[in-house]
Amino acid sequence: MSVALAAVVGGLFAVGTFLLLRRNLVRVVWGIAVITQAANVYLIAMGGVQAPTHDLVPVLEGHGSEVPQTADPVVQALVLTAIVISFGTTALALALSFRAYEENGSIDVAEWGEEG
Amino acid sequence: MSPELSVVTTAIALPFVGAAATPLIYRWFGERTGYAAAALALVSFGLLATQLGEYGTVAAPWIPSIGVALRFTVDGWALLFALLASGIGVLVFTYSAAYMHGGHNLQRYYAALLAFMGSILGVALAADLVVVFLFWELTSLASFVLIGHHTTDGESRYAARMAMLVTVGGGLCLLAGLLVLSIAARQALGTASFDLATMLANDEAMRSALRDQGLFVPALVLIAIAAAAKSAQVPLHFWLPNAMVAPTPVSAFLHSATMVKVGVYFVGRLRPLLSGPEWTLLFATLGLVTMTVGALLAVASTDTKELLAYSTASHLGLMVAGFGFGAVAGGEAGAFHLLNHALFKAPLFLVAGILAHEAGSRSLDNMSGLRRELPVTAAIAVVAGLSMAGIPPFNGFYSKELLFEAAYEFGHEAGGLAWLYPAVATVASIFTVLYSLKFLAVFFGERRAPQKTVPRPPTALVVPPAVLALGVLVVSAVPQFAVDLIVQGAVDATARGQPEFSVHFPPEHVTPPLLMSGVAIVGGVAAYPVTDRVARAIETVRDSTVLIRPSGWYDRALSETERAGAHVGPLVHTGVLRTYVVWGLATVSALVLAGYVATSASVPAVDGLGVPLIVALVLLIALLAGFAVPTAPSHVAGVLTLSILGFVLAIFYIVASAPDLALTQLVVETLVLLIFLLVLQRLPEFYADLDRFVVGRDVVLSLVVGVMAFVSTLLVSPDPAADPTELARYYVTEAVPEGGGTNVVNVVLVDFRGFDTMGELVVITIAAVSVLVLVTMRTRGETQ
Amino acid sequence: MKTTARIAVPIILVLAVSLFFQGHNLPGGGFIGGVLTTTAFVLVYVAYGLDYLEAGVLDREVDPGTGIFEHRSVTAYRRTFVLGLTIVVGSGLAGLLLGGSFLAQDYVILHDVPIYHEVELASALVFDLGVYLVVVGGLLTILSVVGAE
Repeated sequence: MSVALAAVVGGLFAVGTFLLLRRNLVRVVWGIAVITQAANVYLIAMGGVQAPTHDLVPVLEGHGSEVPQTADPVVQALVLTAIVISFGTTALALALSFRAYEENGSIDVAEWGEEG
Repeated sequence: MSPELSVVTTAIALPFVGAAATPLIYRWFGERTGYAAAALALVSFGLLATQLGEYGTVAAPWIPSIGVALRFTVDGWALLFALLASGIGVLVFTYSAAYMHGGHNLQRYYAALLAFMGSILGVALAADLVVVFLFWELTSLASFVLIGHHTTDGESRYAARMAMLVTVGGGLCLLAGLLVLSIAARQALGTASFDLATMLANDEAMRSALRDQGLFVPALVLIAIAAAAKSAQVPLHFWLPNAMVAPTPVSAFLHSATMVKVGVYFVGRLRPLLSGPEWTLLFATLGLVTMTVGALLAVASTDTKELLAYSTASHLGLMVAGFGFGAVAGGEAGAFHLLNHALFKAPLFLVAGILAHEAGSRSLDNMSGLRRELPVTAAIAVVAGLSMAGIPPFNGFYSKELLFEAAYEFGHEAGGLAWLYPAVATVASIFTVLYSLKFLAVFFGERRAPQKTVPRPPTALVVPPAVLALGVLVVSAVPQFAVDLIVQGAVDATARGQPEFSVHFPPEHVTPPLLMSGVAIVGGVAAYPVTDRVARAIETVRDSTVLIRPSGWYDRALSETERAGAHVGPLVHTGVLRTYVVWGLATVSALVLAGYVATSASVPAVDGLGVPLIVALVLLIALLAGFAVPTAPSHVAGVLTLSILGFVLAIFYIVASAPDLALTQLVVETLVLLIFLLVLQRLPEFYADLDRFVVGRDVVLSLVVGVMAFVSTLLVSPDPAADPTELARYYVTEAVPEGGGTNVVNVVLVDFRGFDTMGELVVITIAAVSVLVLVTMRTRGETQ
Repeated sequence: MKTTARIAVPIILVLAVSLFFQGHNLPGGGFIGGVLTTTAFVLVYVAYGLDYLEAGVLDREVDPGTGIFEHRSVTAYRRTFVLGLTIVVGSGLAGLLLGGSFLAQDYVILHDVPIYHEVELASALVFDLGVYLVVVGGLLTILSVVGAE
């Protein structure tokens, strides 16, 4: 429960949506990227964010030592893969955009719809 | 003695293995694949036969966490059905080898037929609701493939789709019904369970649990719909005659002996669990109506296979009605008739196949007097046909007698309108006699055939129906033998208590059921000279209005759905990206927000920012960067702003105690920036005119989505002071002892959730391959 | 630019490998090691061009006529991620063969090893190697293909 986190997630989602609705294909790709970032923050928010201390980092002191209460490692694992995958999807979206431009000679999304 | 799990599973798995290996087998055997498949079926039959008398339940765990197991019950009822299916399977495969000679797509044909047989054995023996459902639907799928065997024929495709929609739709009702049962099991047995065997053992507790929760009637109705769809009960009978476009062996196997009996079988299976007044009202009525309607339509048929199809529906009605009555004789009628019907109907279908194969016709009107050319076939048909008509001393007579007895007892006990039941049963039987005679007329009377000479059928076509006709004769001569061998066990399994079952022939004294049989036979024979007039009268009624034809309703529903689809399609599928975005996001937001309102979720009291100041500061910068992206004047400026957002979030990950994320994010952001710049240098700048109205509309949608995300985050993110979730705690404490690593995140990724990580790697690979293909396709000249 | 690359690339590569190996116990692992390695390669590309690795480092001849799809380094990257996936699946199957479930992991601690005194050998490292290879292969394929346009 954090207003600041919620505001960032909400704000980024709104920005992403607005970008998705643009006619310029590049901006649509930006929208995807922004929403990906927002989703990552949302996942982190589910784990909860506390004031950073040494103990909170989910890397333990050593084998067999006392286990401190750390930040939620599950959401971090989720986000870690999400970041790498987001690169893949962004790259794919860009490659698609590039091909679409080559085929249509334009990056105006609305224009293609009217043709098809 | 309890059954052997390995034997049972082998018997079920063998046909599936055979189905998978069919292409290989076909390569070796060619058209003789049918004999190989028959050998497989024989092995299954033999394996199951070893289990005779060794009744009980065996199980292997499958999904223990929700109590699903590969559980099989071997009892008389299951074994009766399974042995019938595999036994007739042997004969049908043998017959197919000759019948399908020179046909197309034989590999697919045999593979589907084998898979079908395996599914039937599965349904018969399964004692776990989930397993039952799986095999149940598999039979529908296999049937779809087999009905649509002639893929280029429009009629065949139409029939296959109809059978699929009806039976799979019924399957969905079955799923719902089974879930209702498992919910009731939670109260009755203490745990949510799919264990049908335990439910049947505690039927009293299950019934009271169902009644307590008001689920008794829903469960009953859902299962009745499922059974009616599968077993072609009125008004869902219409798919069965259409399914006759399938090759004849398929009709003989699926649509007389096995698949259509699955519904009846399951009704019998659940009879000890659910029978009661509602049960009798529902199933006895359903069965008798089907019996009558099926018999009437069979009389009006002009095609051999159509006649047999309606007759099958009628006889299935007889079995359902039998199980519907609470009397002992009812269960006996259902169980015994399952055996008898399979024995006489399968050879009749095979005879119809011989007629089509040799005389080249399926029309009842232009064939007669064929007994001279086809004496053996005629003899088989006579034996089976008289049994179908219920003429003593053939076996069909015994089971029909039992039904009459059950119906009469019911009428006698309940009185009043309940007398309609025996009356309707008798009337339906008159027509049964009538259409049986009509079918047999093909062999008698003057010689009238579409061809001048009718060649003798090959031995492989005659032997299978002859074996079955022999079975009819054996059961007719010594019914008590069949009863002792297996039918008694089947009756025990489908009734409460231990009814003693014996068949007496000839009857010692005249009883009301005997009189009913007499009326039916005399009436049928007396009406035979005027068959044509009766048939025309039935046709007139049938064709008078489309409203009483369920197939008419089916067609109408289908075309209406298609038309509605044609209307909705262009609305949401415009080819413009924003349409999809708007529909998708608006729907998601509306559903999520509506969900919060419906569950009256309340946002907890907010205390300050909820995060430490430094985190809040970083987040503020991220938010500003985010808002700066849409206002960027050029592509490069926008990408740089996007990168600022990414790098700030990397800092956020640092302060959120996630060093792994921060490292990855930093590096990935660099790469993203690079790839953006690489691509953007090839793309032109583009400035769309900003229409104020459009921008306003977009802002509204964006705000809605933003609010949805805002509320969601508030609702799901935990209190900072709250304890970590059990899952997180588990991973942190078990990381060292279980995974041997101190970096919990990494241990989660590679050890605890390795399978998920593998999935993610596949995603990266797919992305890489897609990019590769997208970019290189042009150089290979694959685009226009 | 080239000077920077000459100095930075070895450092990045060493860092990436060390991050990969310490991943089980300290921040790092296959994903991070993978992306970092990718940046090292990308730095080489940006500074020297796609053919440099072939011609300059490995001293092979570059056939300029072929398209990017047949380009030797791209083929190598494709092989890399295929190999990575194979390792991942293979390590999972190995777990299955050794009596555990699919992808079951185990570890042993070796004592009395010179210098380190105690070395832990986790089978998860094999899995992580697969992760590393897939990430490097996949991302480099994407980058080099897009970059070549």
